[in-house]
Amino acid sequence: MKIITCIKVVPEEQDIVIKADGELSFDRAKPTISAYDLNAVEAGAQLLEECGGDFIALSVGSGGIDNPKLKKNILSRGPESLVMVADDRLKDLDTHQTAKVLKAAIEKVGEYDLILCGEGSSDLYAQQVGPQLGQLLNVPTINSVSKITQSDGKIVVQRTLENEVETLESVLPALVIVTSDINLPRIATMSHVLAAGKKPATVWTLEDIGVLELFNTIEVIDTRAPQQVERKQDIVEGDTDEAIQEFITKLSTVLAK
Amino acid sequence: MSIMKIERKRGEGMSNEGFDVIVVGAGVAGNVAAYLLGREGLQVLLIERGNYPGSKNMTGGRIYSHSLEKIMPDFAKEAPIERKITREKVFMMTEKSSIGLDFQSSLLGTHGSDSYSVLRGVFDQWLAEKAEEVGVEIVTGICVDDLIIRQGKVCGVIAGIDQIESGVTILADGINSLLAQKAGLRKEFKPSHVAVGVKELIELPAELIQERFQCNENEGTACMFAGFPSDGRIGGGFLYTNKESISLGVVCTLSDLIKGQKALPQLMEDFKTHPTVAPLIKEGKLVEYSGHLVPEGGVEMMPKIIGDGVLVVGDAAGFCVNLGYAVRGMDFAIASGECAARAVSKAYQGGGYSEGDLQVYRDYLEESFVLHDMKLYRNFPKFLETTPRVFSDYPKLLEGIMTDMFVMNGQPTQALVKTIMKHINKVGVLKITRDAWKGVRSV
Amino acid sequence: MRIMVLAETQKALTELCAGASQISPQVEAVIIGDQLKVVADTIWYIPAQEYAMLEDYTESIAALIKQEKPELIIVEPTKRYKLIAGRIAAMLGTTVITDVLELEKDFVAKRMVYGGTAIRTEKVVSGSTIVMVGSGVLQSKSVTEVTVREERPVQFIEPKIRLKRIAREEKERVAVDLPGAKVVVGIGRGIAEQKDLEMIKQLALALKGEIGCTRPIAEAEKWMPKETYLGVSGLIIAPEVYIAIGISGQIQHTVGINRSKLIVSINKEKSAPIFKQSDYGIVGDLYKVLPALIKHFG
Ligand SMILES: Cc1cc2nc3c(=O)[nH]c(=O)nc-3n(C[C@H](O)[C@H](O)[C@H](O)COP(=O)(O)OP(=O)(O)OC[C@H]3O[C@@H](n4cnc5c(N)ncnc54)[C@H](O)[C@@H]3O)c2cc1C
Ligand SMILES: Cc1cc2nc3c(=O)[nH]c(=O)nc-3n(C[C@H](O)[C@H](O)[C@H](O)COP(=O)(O)OP(=O)(O)OC[C@H]3O[C@@H](n4cnc5c(N)ncnc54)[C@H](O)[C@@H]3O)c2cc1C
Ligand SMILES: Nc1ncnc2c1ncn2[C@@H]1O[C@H](COP(=O)(O)O)[C@@H](O)[C@H]1O
Repeated sequence: MKIITCIKVVPEEQDIVIKADGELSFDRAKPTISAYDLNAVEAGAQLLEECGGDFIALSVGSGGIDNPKLKKNILSRGPESLVMVADDRLKDLDTHQTAKVLKAAIEKVGEYDLILCGEGSSDLYAQQVGPQLGQLLNVPTINSVSKITQSDGKIVVQRTLENEVETLESVLPALVIVTSDINLPRIATMSHVLAAGKKPATVWTLEDIGVLELFNTIEVIDTRAPQQVERKQDIVEGDTDEAIQEFITKLSTVLAK
Repeated sequence: MSIMKIERKRGEGMSNEGFDVIVVGAGVAGNVAAYLLGREGLQVLLIERGNYPGSKNMTGGRIYSHSLEKIMPDFAKEAPIERKITREKVFMMTEKSSIGLDFQSSLLGTHGSDSYSVLRGVFDQWLAEKAEEVGVEIVTGICVDDLIIRQGKVCGVIAGIDQIESGVTILADGINSLLAQKAGLRKEFKPSHVAVGVKELIELPAELIQERFQCNENEGTACMFAGFPSDGRIGGGFLYTNKESISLGVVCTLSDLIKGQKALPQLMEDFKTHPTVAPLIKEGKLVEYSGHLVPEGGVEMMPKIIGDGVLVVGDAAGFCVNLGYAVRGMDFAIASGECAARAVSKAYQGGGYSEGDLQVYRDYLEESFVLHDMKLYRNFPKFLETTPRVFSDYPKLLEGIMTDMFVMNGQPTQALVKTIMKHINKVGVLKITRDAWKGVRSV
Repeated sequence: MRIMVLAETQKALTELCAGASQISPQVEAVIIGDQLKVVADTIWYIPAQEYAMLEDYTESIAALIKQEKPELIIVEPTKRYKLIAGRIAAMLGTTVITDVLELEKDFVAKRMVYGGTAIRTEKVVSGSTIVMVGSGVLQSKSVTEVTVREERPVQFIEPKIRLKRIAREEKERVAVDLPGAKVVVGIGRGIAEQKDLEMIKQLALALKGEIGCTRPIAEAEKWMPKETYLGVSGLIIAPEVYIAIGISGQIQHTVGINRSKLIVSINKEKSAPIFKQSDYGIVGDLYKVLPALIKHFG
């Protein structure tokens, strides 16, 4: 089976700093793999172990994603090769453009059986690139998948929805969006990390994949930290009987009704 | 178990699967050793358990530049250093007072004897990048669990299910060095051989720091505090100014801490609220809290640093001196990393990494300041240990003198000499002279 | 201005239509089959097809939107509709703004990004705007019964690709209505064992509240259903009172609860971030505090 997993590179969330004016600073936030995409990579790695074939990781983004540590990180988790479309014109893409660029890149890669996506990117969490990409590629597309099994040219998946679980069968090629509890992403071992350094990584520009026109369908007006609600912060310290009593007295006045 | 077999013929580069050298730990010691060997063209693997080099490392915050300067001239121009230290302050502290000495001199900033405040998270990463640039393979997020030992020779490392072989292994895994223990090079240390330190990183705007510590942009102040911070026991407090933060901490000998009344976090809390310290960190935002051990047993605690196929560097080898109110370890770590790299490089050309081949490591250490200074301070920990007066009586003594001199309460004032003698007599002239003599001799 | 509403559940359809009618009088609903009761002045009716899944109507809905060109399309944020809306957007050459927290005039939408660290304000600038909004976002004075003025049939378009459904199983219904609850007791990793949930249930009962939790309690421990965890990737609620028990207060969790009117927390660590976001709190062992609370309020 030939598998392609789409991975978004996002700024490390813990290191995003909220400035005094509420704007965000990404100066200290290193590029990292979007958390939920780790599940998509793991799903690909498990399928590869099961049925052999070929497993490529694909990511598109600004020039900064072409980062040796990051590439090694991705490749240490199971993919046999990595393709990146790294181009500064791809900064801050909306989901529609991302899907378009991914489509072009996938077509340049060539044939495939299965495209895997994460539940949502951990920065935007739009949960949209997968559905849109599936449509653009014109392949069966299934989201919210919590289990994948394959047999002769088909896959059977378990799809966990709000109130029901359904089992679906699809022909290949197909696009599958996995949930964050489909598996537990592996922790790379040292030999995986060392081997990762020797796996092929290809980096393309927009010209390489023949995408010449780009315009976002979304205009971002601003991105800022939410206003903190002022809280009383009336905190009783300690759990002696008296302290607990004091706490209860405070609560009684507000919870009485 | 997957085994990456090493197939190497001397003189030829390495095959894909083994390494000439494995360095464990990407602190300053490990990074420097790996960098120098990479620069020599050896196949080097540097393994760090933290998610990135420096992620788990801690230091008070000041690096004396001399040892790195030799390896990377003018490093401070490029490296992510915080501030150049151009002002030194020393305080003797009691619960209510402090007496300070303020030393500002252009001598402090002279090239070669200059020092810088640093934050390890970024500094170690930068060093590791330098190593990567010269071809060192760096693996992070992997903890080395054990060593491959065959007939007493260290032949590589074991991490999880992987074994990776190497000609020689350099242990730069810090003070806890379990690996040196596994290699039979050292035993567990005694509590009196280590101190514990806690440090907080407190964010403040650059301009405010410059104003509070009266320093220029890019320049900074180092403050040492003796007495109260360690509750009269061996240890002290430190403060270094970074670009937009302050490193503030307390160090205390483990054996003393066990005996004492206050736990370390409490010492830190009290230190922070001391009237001398509180205004310095006012309005600051606590962004990081960490604790770490400091080797301070001097040469006494030095393990065996050379074995068959293995060398120990930096804190793992106990190369660090604790002056009570200040710790010096990074320059030792760097210099020992350099000595180890030179020894390995020589052994590589010579054709083997037996214990005998690696003996030059000790020679290089002897030539450098590392062993010299370690010996110089050999008795210093003992001096401190047997002379707790330095941390309890003397600050009190000074407090007494100063209050008598400066507190005017309508009582008749006494002549200065008399004032001083009154206090000195409390401790005892003899004791003071003896301590002074011991102190001088131990340094 | 024309607004089209797409929903999978009756509750959402009613709420979204009522909310939409506050924006524009011209609300149109797309109804598939006969399951949903209609509450809009115009309905677009697609007759139910045999063996069809909701996803199989994607092409039909897309064709309808292409033809009618509503300015705004409001969609219920269910998993099925996230897929359908995305595919429709791709067909129309536009995109979808999901999980909208606030919809302002000119369809300027606010949504959470970077795991709740920030709110992004954005706007679609190509063709129709497709937004997915959850319960409680669109304000409506009252859910009025709108009589259908017009019912228009939509031609079903056979999809190019049909998925084959082999099996389908109803999940055990989680009988909690967290978004509607006035009091919510939230539990986190401070709870040591599953059996201690008994104590929590007693407290919830005493306060007439529902129980929610942090993600690790639902996903790692599996002590509570996944549907009950609160936060950026879970539910966002705004009760009168939220009581956080043994919860550290990481942003991924607090973005789900910080619209609560009153926040009370119990945590043994003085430095737990949750206290900074609480109105009342106690630094203490929950195992000492809870029995006293239950005794007092029970
Ligand atoms: C509170 C305090 C204040 C100090 N102040 C100063 C000061 O101002 N100036 C100064 O010069 N020195 C100071 N020191 C001392 C100085 O920090 C140390 O001497 C120095 O960090 C030693 O460097 P190192 O590279 O040997 O070890 P470390 O910096 O400890 O690095 C060891 C590395 O090995 C890694 N490691 C450990 N085990 C494994 C394993 N099994 N597998 C893989 N990786 C592993 C660790 O993650 C770490 O990165 C201070 C120390 C403390 C605690
Ligand atoms: C991409 C992403 C998305 C996420 N989405 C969500 C989300 O939607 N919702 C969510 O909740 N989390 C989410 N998380 C996880 C989140 O980051 C936190 O890890 C989680 O909220 C922490 O849960 P907790 O407070 O229960 O546990 P902890 O952080 O472990 O806190 C436990 C607390 O209990 C206290 N405690 C322990 N014992 C006692 C006692 N006896 N008495 C009193 N107090 C005690 C401790 O002091 C501590 O503060 C997400 C994480 C990621 C990376
Ligand atoms: N820039 C990108 N490169 C590769 N894959 C992406 C990119 N952006 C999103 N994806 C994939 O699409 C999924 C959903 O992203 P989103 O729609 O942004 O929530 C992610 O989990 C990834 O699998």
